[in-house]
Amino acid sequence: MAVVFILTGIALVLGIVIYFVNRLVPHNVKGIEKTEEISSALPGINCGACGYPGCFAYAQALTANPNLITETPCPTAIQSPETIKNLEKTLDVTLDTAEMSKKALVHCNGNSEILFNYSGVKSCKGAAQLLNGYKKCPYACLGFGDCIKICPQDAITINPENGVAFIDQKKCIGCGLCITECPQNIIELIPVNTKITFQCSYLPLRDIPSREKCNSGCTHCRKCFRSCEADAITWNKDKAIPEFDIEKCTLCHKCVEICPQNTLADYTETKVNAKATAG
Amino acid sequence: MSELISIFLSVAVINNLIISKFLGLCPFFGVSKKIGNALSMGIAVTLVMLVASIATWFINNLILIPFEIEYMNIIMYILVIAALVQIIELFIKRTNLSLYNALGIYLPLITTNCAVLGITLINAQESYGLLESIVSSLGGGVGFLLVLVIMSGIREKLEIADAPSSMRGLPVAMLVGAMLGLTFFGFGGMI
Repeated sequence: MAVVFILTGIALVLGIVIYFVNRLVPHNVKGIEKTEEISSALPGINCGACGYPGCFAYAQALTANPNLITETPCPTAIQSPETIKNLEKTLDVTLDTAEMSKKALVHCNGNSEILFNYSGVKSCKGAAQLLNGYKKCPYACLGFGDCIKICPQDAITINPENGVAFIDQKKCIGCGLCITECPQNIIELIPVNTKITFQCSYLPLRDIPSREKCNSGCTHCRKCFRSCEADAITWNKDKAIPEFDIEKCTLCHKCVEICPQNTLADYTETKVNAKATAG
Repeated sequence: MSELISIFLSVAVINNLIISKFLGLCPFFGVSKKIGNALSMGIAVTLVMLVASIATWFINNLILIPFEIEYMNIIMYILVIAALVQIIELFIKRTNLSLYNALGIYLPLITTNCAVLGITLINAQESYGLLESIVSSLGGGVGFLLVLVIMSGIREKLEIADAPSSMRGLPVAMLVGAMLGLTFFGFGGMI
């Protein structure tokens, strides 16, 4: 019993000592005031999602260059309008959260032909070890949900219709943990104000026409590129995929309708209507 | 005096914390990619070891032994070391920002480093006096720094070595670690 009291006593004394040290150490050190101010405006959870080791290091980088916040934004701060308001005040910049905020999206329609009946370990990483997965397309979602386990927001579910991981855009905070977890590298962070999304990841193997491998993979027919009346689509020749200009896109849905493989989707609908355009 | 030197050498090279006691293996592989990082980590560990061993000597001799609760030493030491590192961090942050940046993330990381806890437990086990504890922890820190810097020097070279793809990175580092351990056995009969 005495042990409990001694341990609690020591812990209490140490806590008080830390409190007083924190009070007594000089607070107005030259050259650190600005950093301190920014640091107190940041969320302070030291998640490291900005790419810096902790909020204080990020605050130091921001002190040197306030514009850094648009280049490598703090994903945690973007979630809360209040924090963003405080940051704007301390950094003296105006931030467009819609531009900075990003959400994760799975780029797969799940229609790839199945090569063989996989009965091994129930994990994407395990399945990906064997012939790049049991599906014919090497960039297909394997649907075992490695991303579900890592998601801190429980935003990911497997769509039972096509066996593809579906990320709830309302719950997603854009932390990007699922991106590194996915062995197929088909999850990507996209800006929230994206209008049309390209739902296929079939770019590095562009020599092989993907229709041989997948019923809804891009065949590089360029119909979307030709159909666009607003010049919003540019054809990326190196990757052989269409790229979309958010500013010019009028959301006329011509490209979505003309695509023979249904690889394009309206992202604004994905955001609102959770289940309809899943995958 | 000669006894102190023998304690220092024994902890630093012969019974090196990493090589022969297998303590602090996590930074041994985690922070040994660049010499600069290894040096910062080694200095931070040495500093914390020194402070921790002094504090735990007082805890051990003024609280644990008089109340006959030596069996509580692990949990007590963890508590004290963690609080101490917090205080040191607060202090360095306000007084010397460049030092704080140099030690960076390593200072809070080593609050629960097993090498730091290990050296304090070894001190208690051998029932060293205050001076002996200080020398022993300094030796532990220097030994840790030495091995970490040697390892990072080798690993910088390994990065450009033509290793088979399955051996690249950590596997080959493990092999090199084993060989480094063998060379330290050469110090075996020194004292």
